[in-house]
Amino acid sequence: MTGNFSHESTDEPDPTDARDELPPADPAAALRLIADQQAEAARRLSPNLLWYYWPWGLAWLIGFGLFFLRFGPDGRVFVDLPTWLPLLVLLAMLVAAGIISGIVGGRTYGQVTGDSQRRGLWYGLSWGLGFSGISAVLGRVAEHLPEDIAGLLWAGVAVGLTGALHMAGGAVWLDRNLFRLGVWISVINIAGLIAGPGWHALVISVLGGGGMLAAGVLFLIRDRRRGQAVTAGLPGTASGSARSAR
Amino acid sequence: MNGPPELDPVIHAQARLRVTATLATLHHGDRITFPRLQDILQMTAGNLSVHLRKLEEAGYVEIVKTHHGRTPTTLVGLTRRGRFAFEEYTLAVRALLDPAQTEEKP
Repeated sequence: MTGNFSHESTDEPDPTDARDELPPADPAAALRLIADQQAEAARRLSPNLLWYYWPWGLAWLIGFGLFFLRFGPDGRVFVDLPTWLPLLVLLAMLVAAGIISGIVGGRTYGQVTGDSQRRGLWYGLSWGLGFSGISAVLGRVAEHLPEDIAGLLWAGVAVGLTGALHMAGGAVWLDRNLFRLGVWISVINIAGLIAGPGWHALVISVLGGGGMLAAGVLFLIRDRRRGQAVTAGLPGTASGSARSAR
Repeated sequence: MNGPPELDPVIHAQARLRVTATLATLHHGDRITFPRLQDILQMTAGNLSVHLRKLEEAGYVEIVKTHHGRTPTTLVGLTRRGRFAFEEYTLAVRALLDPAQTEEKP
């Protein structure tokens, strides 16, 4: 130990590792340490988006897919399933997706408090209350309608609200991809509604459910890339840009 | 800026640099629980406490003890000053690495 710099004998021996107090070997090592640590923290503090989007995507793909097969356009029956099966499968898968989202969200965000937590909580409440509201209305109205129109009403309103809430989420977090997904859901919903009963289920199944599956993969790739960019662009200039962009 | 920039001695130690860098990834106004921070950093509780105390003494970190239901919780977050210090530190290190970029034009 050549005590060339002010090596003031620190007051007490700490229960720390001796290396802890050592400065990074050189500036590059310091930047690498920062980048690695922040990438690790970001990875641990953000959800795996595949786990978030795939349960919902599969629920739509399979649930609405069964609806299309059983209640096709113009009353056609492509596969003679029991009439109660599509609704049961769709609801069961949606509930499962909701539970998985809750677990994933709780795991990743559960131990961070503050503004982010409030944002997430209020957003979650918007979903809950929004769907309670439309269920209350549709439950009263739909029974007076022919079955195919009632089904279209339920699906169209529910998918429409989902699209709007995704767009709102994009606005809350300034997340372009989330907003785009909301636009996509809203637009295909309108297209499906114009096409009519039966077709709507097909559109939501393939383009909506499939779209969410694709979105999950795209978002995952984007996050991986961003993580690599933080480390790769190391000796660059834009300080902390990775953080502030988040 | 003339001459090599000075590096903040509070942050310029490997363990505290890791702590500060991690806390800086949180959004403004957010805090993280002590156990979760410990888990991300893979440090022992005693070790992390020591470094947090030093950061707290410098005014860089705010430690809030609260109750979550009945269990006491310790929340940790970077102060405005701490965030600023971390950004200054990062800038200074970058300047050391590549002086041309920061001191190019007189």
